[in-house]
Amino acid sequence: MRGKLLRTMLINLIVWTLALAWALPYIGVVAVSAMPYKEVVTEGWLRIPNVDSLTLRNYIEALTNPLYDLATGYRNSLIVASISTLIPLIAAALAAYAFSNLDFRLKPLLFGLVLVIMMVPQQLTVVPLFFLYRNLGLYDTMQGIILLHSAWGIAWITFFLRNYFKFIPRSLIEAARVDGASDFRIFSKIVLPLSVPGLIAAALLQFTWVWNDLFYALVFLISRENQVITQKVVMLKGEYHIDWGLLTAGSVISMSMPVILYAVFNKYFMKGVAAWGVKR
Amino acid sequence: MKGASLKLWRVTKRFRNVVAVDNLNLEVDRGEFIVLLGPSGCGKTTTLRIIAGLETPDEGRVYIDDVDVTDLEPGERDVAMVFQDYALYPHITVFENIAFPLVVRARKLSLTKRDIEEKVLNVAKMLKIDDLLDRKPTQLSGGQQQRAALARALVKEPKIWLMDEPLSNLDALIRLQVRAEIKKLQKDLGITTVYVTHDQTEALSLADRVAVMNRGRILQIGSPREIYDDPKHIFVATFVGVPPMNLLECRVSDVLECPGFRRKLPEESKEYFKRLNKIYIGIRPEHIEIVSKEEGDLEGVVYVIEPLGPEYIINVLVDDTLIKIKTVKEYTLHSGDKVYLKINWAKAIAFDTATGLSLGKISIA
Repeated sequence: MRGKLLRTMLINLIVWTLALAWALPYIGVVAVSAMPYKEVVTEGWLRIPNVDSLTLRNYIEALTNPLYDLATGYRNSLIVASISTLIPLIAAALAAYAFSNLDFRLKPLLFGLVLVIMMVPQQLTVVPLFFLYRNLGLYDTMQGIILLHSAWGIAWITFFLRNYFKFIPRSLIEAARVDGASDFRIFSKIVLPLSVPGLIAAALLQFTWVWNDLFYALVFLISRENQVITQKVVMLKGEYHIDWGLLTAGSVISMSMPVILYAVFNKYFMKGVAAWGVKR
Repeated sequence: MKGASLKLWRVTKRFRNVVAVDNLNLEVDRGEFIVLLGPSGCGKTTTLRIIAGLETPDEGRVYIDDVDVTDLEPGERDVAMVFQDYALYPHITVFENIAFPLVVRARKLSLTKRDIEEKVLNVAKMLKIDDLLDRKPTQLSGGQQQRAALARALVKEPKIWLMDEPLSNLDALIRLQVRAEIKKLQKDLGITTVYVTHDQTEALSLADRVAVMNRGRILQIGSPREIYDDPKHIFVATFVGVPPMNLLECRVSDVLECPGFRRKLPEESKEYFKRLNKIYIGIRPEHIEIVSKEEGDLEGVVYVIEPLGPEYIINVLVDDTLIKIKTVKEYTLHSGDKVYLKINWAKAIAFDTATGLSLGKISIA
């Protein structure tokens, strides 16, 4: 009895320590974002903030000052991330249905191809893509970067959803088939509704991935009006001078979207990802 | 509703190197209830899936009402299937589940929403689940889920009703209840039915004819009585019956030498059996009696007694062979007691030890 209590306490201690270590930087970022610059540099960031001097000035500055242009970045990120989530989700769901429920020639080979694409590092493709995009006129356009993210998304989401669809008992699909349902009806009326957690998990991961991307954005989006939030946040940092309050406010703004989405869809996300690891 | 006839002609199905169904022929009459009975892996489910169109045979043809349906999609065959796990769609209500086959073909059959509602209600009433239509399948008990699955299979008035071990997930009590109901429904509606099971009691109680399968082949097809009383193959004899038929390995010369006793062969069948050198004699447990020493054919020692409520299984060791006797009489016997047994020879059947085929009744008085 006593041993069990000790064990529970020990486990709690370890978990809380880890959680604190993980959360501390974020707490710090949020705290600093609400402090005046002077306080940050004179008194440090890791402390209980002085309530009287708390300010929203950093946020207002980051969003409204045309020099930083965070609002445009936010809007661009929203457009890029939502469309780059929607396109691969639809395409990959259809592909995943085919891989999990239909028999066709070259299926193993094609599925192997999906896996290979998943494993290619993005950095490896950036130079040929740069030339391709320049020639196609897609360089420095939002359509261009949306296509790029969608293409990467299709591969892993196909794999993810194929595994998810495999969880649906075969008899459900066979019953529908015996009843005369077409593949599209089986897909839309049975497979999709039963895979909502998986679809949400895939959408969240893809959305966050695209939202957080800086590498492709830096290479393919040049002009101010096309740049996304991650690029804008980087530019809050001056070459010789860092306004910590401004930078952290920008970071919080940038993080806000994924955080809200995870908070809202957390339940589905857990369900969806839980299925990911189980072999079937 | 009216059933169709069904014919499988030389159907073979292989999975890689395994022959699941081996040159199988089967003819089912209109309105007949056929049960495919066999151990797991005998090809019975594959046969059913071939009829449904969920598997394509490598060789052979499938005919429904003399129309070749081998290359038709499952949905074009006008069959309905009940799955072992019921296969109810968990995200929609029972009503929508039952309506699904109709909704799918609403345009083709020019059904209005009201037609569908009416048909669903009718079939739900027939199966006594009309008060559960608004629930989700997960909110139903096993027996209710089973009824919903049966309703979904019946609502489209199929030509052929296919069932794949539909009772195996139910509790023993409900199983008995639903079993009787399936039989009643089938007889009332007159739908041709093919039913797959590994449970011989189920097979014998439901079927007009039972097809006993092993290793992809039908070993015998016949009425439950025929299957039980006159097995044509040693596999049928030992697979059907609880406990299974006793097999005595006997040597044949001028006399029949069996464990524990010797018998003269009747003159007329002597030559017939003699060429075999060895045969099995099969005798059902209820056709052996415990008698007095004078009446006994053979002598043995009680090994163990299993009371089953209304009846007893008495295991008797004769030489090295364990013989099971089923009786409703109560005996005051204990393990190790010496007993004398009398075989009802009119019910005994001889089997070829090499091929396993029945050699017919062995009439030794």
